[in-house]
Amino acid sequence: MMTSLISRIQSVLGEPRRGSSKDEAKQRLKLLLIHDQVDLSPAQLQAMKAELLDVIARYVEIDREAMEIRLSKEGGQVALVSTMPVRRVTSRAAAAAS
Amino acid sequence: MAECIVITSGKGGVGKTTTSANLATGLALSGKKVVAIDADIGLRNLDVILGLENRIVYDLVQVIEGECRLKQALIRDKRVEGLSLLPAAQTRDKSSVRPEDMKKLVNDLKELGTDYIIIDCPAGIEQGFKNSIAGADRAIIVTTPEVSAIRDADRIIGLVEAHELPEPKLILNRYRPGLVARGDMMNREDILEILAIPLMGIIPDHEEIVISANRGSPVVFDELSVVGAAYRRIVRRVLGEEVEIPSFDVQDDGVWASFKRWMGLTAAREVV
Repeated sequence: MMTSLISRIQSVLGEPRRGSSKDEAKQRLKLLLIHDQVDLSPAQLQAMKAELLDVIARYVEIDREAMEIRLSKEGGQVALVSTMPVRRVTSRAAAAAS
Repeated sequence: MAECIVITSGKGGVGKTTTSANLATGLALSGKKVVAIDADIGLRNLDVILGLENRIVYDLVQVIEGECRLKQALIRDKRVEGLSLLPAAQTRDKSSVRPEDMKKLVNDLKELGTDYIIIDCPAGIEQGFKNSIAGADRAIIVTTPEVSAIRDADRIIGLVEAHELPEPKLILNRYRPGLVARGDMMNREDILEILAIPLMGIIPDHEEIVISANRGSPVVFDELSVVGAAYRRIVRRVLGEEVEIPSFDVQDDGVWASFKRWMGLTAAREVV
């Protein structure tokens, strides 16, 4: 109750409340709209992630557990954003490069 | 004994999905095993109101078409034991499901040991409505105190009875005591006189509903909320208890009461 009281007083003082419910709503909505547009089910996204990992693993050794893939919207354009922590370049890839 | 309840209204935007989410959550909070089914194929929203949208893998149409097992498609709500959601497909249309499919689905859920199956029916009286009531044992009609909503509710009551379901019950949503007191909103007697079905509960119009929808957390979770309390009473009535339906005190619309509510010091008082 105290926290809600404080947040209400803050809102009166014009302080933007962190974690206000409208921000939460907007975040959730953005994510929903992106997924609706791309029409990629979570199952498909998982399958794509696994295939991507297999391809990339031929060249670099990546931390499979730490890989992230998500949809994001940047400047009106939906993008697939992925983070793949590289452990090291595999010897085969190094050999191909030389 | 397991029971399947369809939440329907005819008109869109009167609160079917919010009612379904709160009823399903409330029943689970009472210790029941509950499955909420979103029957609005192509325009799913129950997942969002329940805050489970990021956990969808399979949907109702995939279950019906045999692409996955029923249990795989059920999303367990981690906040409350016993609640699962069967989401609607987003990229299909209502013709992907037939009434026989829904009957089978409901029977399968009952065989899995589900106590209550809550079906969130789409607006309208077409295929989606027919699918939704096919497996239902009884119906709850949601309406608001507006001419258009009550007219549609009347139409739906006729259709429910034509499908040989028992007499449906009514939830009166977005009730505003201040407007009723001023004579600018039909009161419960006015509405019951027109619709002539038993009243299951009154849900006051309240900002808490907006916030809970923003957060994807049904208001019935909120112990301090007036609206949550109204839903909890409806849950007890669904479970067969006799619970009085209070009138919402107009005094609580006053400045001091709203100030106290705003401060979070009191939940709105109710008088019987």
